[in-house]
Amino acid sequence: MLDNLLGGLMTAIEPSHFIILLLAVVIGFLGGALPGLSGVMLVVVLLPVTYGMETTSAFMLLTAIYGATVFSGMITSILYRAPGTPESVTTVYDGYPMTQRGEAGKALGVGILSSTIGGIVGTIFLIALTPTLASIALQFAAPEYFALAVLGLTVVASLSSGKLIMGFIGVLFGLFLATIGTDTITGTQRFTFGSSEIAGGIEHVPVIIGLFAISEVLNRATETQNLKGNVEKFKIKIFDSTVFKKIRGTLARSSLIGVGIGSLPGVGPTTAAILSYSETVRWSKNPQKFGKGAPEGITAPESANNAGAMGALVPLFALGIPGSATTAVMLGAFVMHGLQPGPNLMTTDGDIVYAVFAGLLIVNLLVLIFSKPFIIMFSKLLNIPYSIIGPLIVIFCMIGTFALRNSMFDVFLMMGFGVLGFFLEKLRFPLITIVLGIVLGPLAESEFRRSLELSGGDLSIFVSRPISATLLTISVIMVTLAIIKPIIDKKRKTHTN
Amino acid sequence: MKLKKSLISLVSGLIVLAGCGDETTDSAEEYPTENIDLLVGAGPGGGTDNFARATEDQLSDKLETNIVIENLEQASGAVANEETANSAPDGHTINYVSSTFIVSNAAGQNDTGLDELTPVARMQSDILSLVVNPDEFDNFEEFREYAEANEVNVGGTHAVSPDEMGFLELQNESDIDNMNYVPYDDTGEVQAAVMGGNLDAYVGVISAVEEYMESGDLEPVLVFSEERLDEMSDIPATVEDYGWDITNGNERGVLVHADTPPEILDELENVLNEIFESDEYKEYEEQNSLHYRDGWMSSEEYEQKLEEDYEMYQELLENQ
Repeated sequence: MLDNLLGGLMTAIEPSHFIILLLAVVIGFLGGALPGLSGVMLVVVLLPVTYGMETTSAFMLLTAIYGATVFSGMITSILYRAPGTPESVTTVYDGYPMTQRGEAGKALGVGILSSTIGGIVGTIFLIALTPTLASIALQFAAPEYFALAVLGLTVVASLSSGKLIMGFIGVLFGLFLATIGTDTITGTQRFTFGSSEIAGGIEHVPVIIGLFAISEVLNRATETQNLKGNVEKFKIKIFDSTVFKKIRGTLARSSLIGVGIGSLPGVGPTTAAILSYSETVRWSKNPQKFGKGAPEGITAPESANNAGAMGALVPLFALGIPGSATTAVMLGAFVMHGLQPGPNLMTTDGDIVYAVFAGLLIVNLLVLIFSKPFIIMFSKLLNIPYSIIGPLIVIFCMIGTFALRNSMFDVFLMMGFGVLGFFLEKLRFPLITIVLGIVLGPLAESEFRRSLELSGGDLSIFVSRPISATLLTISVIMVTLAIIKPIIDKKRKTHTN
Repeated sequence: MKLKKSLISLVSGLIVLAGCGDETTDSAEEYPTENIDLLVGAGPGGGTDNFARATEDQLSDKLETNIVIENLEQASGAVANEETANSAPDGHTINYVSSTFIVSNAAGQNDTGLDELTPVARMQSDILSLVVNPDEFDNFEEFREYAEANEVNVGGTHAVSPDEMGFLELQNESDIDNMNYVPYDDTGEVQAAVMGGNLDAYVGVISAVEEYMESGDLEPVLVFSEERLDEMSDIPATVEDYGWDITNGNERGVLVHADTPPEILDELENVLNEIFESDEYKEYEEQNSLHYRDGWMSSEEYEQKLEEDYEMYQELLENQ
């Protein structure tokens, strides 16, 4: 394997390939940073360009762009509460409060460090363990996916920042949104009112962009004094040893969660980011600080989404099965280039695969080198009056949401959720619980029903399989603890009084 | 000032002229007069999308215009069908579809049917097959014996899909009652479930299995076709070996608005036929294992086929 990798490295640093990698990082960086452009879109747009290229270069370009977009999506999440890519949605939650506190530089520094480490950990796993991870992923069937989603959902109590009832309303509302559209198991249409647009379902991207980005633009527009733009200077410090001490545990755990979840077919980095965020909140000693600008709240999603993006390549290279939306497009690109993606790809076209792996390692380092000048450039945006930036954000969000499925319906949906988010924010509603529901809802529902299809309606399928039984037991313990803890605390209080 | 005014009138005059030009281009000689919107009722990266992108360049060269591919995957392509039916009937909006179109129409999930859309040509007929994990079953007979004694789960991509129709046909014709259909969200997921031993078999197109046959992870044990395939002559065929009338696969073709003038329809059909016969297309077919069965059907043949399929699928869905 090592000589394969060395061979790959030699290929990757050939001048023509290296230039492509540099180019890919620049394109990916810009594309990811603009709220309208996501990795999927860039890859689709560049697909025809790659047909004219030699296969190795083509895949280096596509995978490198993919890696770089996931990285730079956090910039606008942190600076403007407008996620640059769906993968960096969760970063908004703690990144933006830091910017509001005047700590944008610190937030970006944490983001860069977490992303790069996540990306490198992910790539190392990809290089060393692709076949192993793929065979573990095959052990995951419907009951395991369901248990995973349930475990994610049980974190709602800790994400509600003390407003339990609102938190439950939020997560149930998210779950309800996820049921709208065509039912994946029977094909029945639900809550569609006969419209084929609604039959396509409510995607999480328009909802999330509306709730966070658009609502914030509305919010800023109502504050007349604050439109001038932020003139205070900030410094980005990528490695800060005091911060690093705080985040290193989160960093290690989230990178591993990211690779693991990312490598499950059909789950992908967006879910990896939100699951790792919720686990971080759950295991934190003071969960109430999240959502108010905790550096760990940036580390968790950023390391997990970058690790997850690499993880999503595992089933693609090992089995020919895409792990996320972008990798699904890449699968198409493989076919167009005459490669046969599948279990034999690593043996038949090993030189290409290892060149791509080596390229990804280089990309993660390039990203680290480029990030500072790039972000300083982007941070200049903060000096531009918000009266100009705000409308631009709205325009980019509209373009991005439209391009997702070429749908105006999604744009209206995004606007609607923008207004909803604006009012919910006034009530200090824990918006993230809605995101939790809508991202995990489809996974939970369809996998639950698929499990029952597989077992002939027998519920014991969830407890007779070791992985799902373990995950579900943890979930039950978590929920019980969340209910019991306030009661115990109360008793203790009355005792001491 | 005067100059400005005359410039404005000149420009507005030109605009009016340009507008006139557009209205008189109904005839086929001038077709196409603008970019062609190619709507794909499926997401990027899948079989129908690959089909669109494999023909895009030739279509653009032969029609001498730009082709703009738009993926409208919502509701199994219903949105793409609806948009085609709502476009101007001038051949500038063409809709690439798979059998999902007629299945979802027969199931009443997609209201845009053959009264609103006209087939231009069918170009692919991807063969369906029953695929198993070779560690579990060596051949179809083993599977059948097992299925007669035990409950078996057979997967497929999506509910109310060509895969599910193939499953229902197999269930009806073979009289194996213990089979239960489990829909998955995409082909990769269903393949992973069979490879991981979490599903007994799946029904799916043969073009997606070849690579897994070589590696020994998956094996088709029954092909849904008239005869055995030359390339896989050891695998039994539904009609030849069992006398079961199951031959439908996943068929991909092109539709336009039903009111499209016949001259434009003809021209499009001819262009698609030229593409179909080209070496470039043949190479793509072979690379993607789409060449086992002749894909071509003219506008009329395809229309008739779709009408028959509609009846058959409706009956299958009612009796399930």
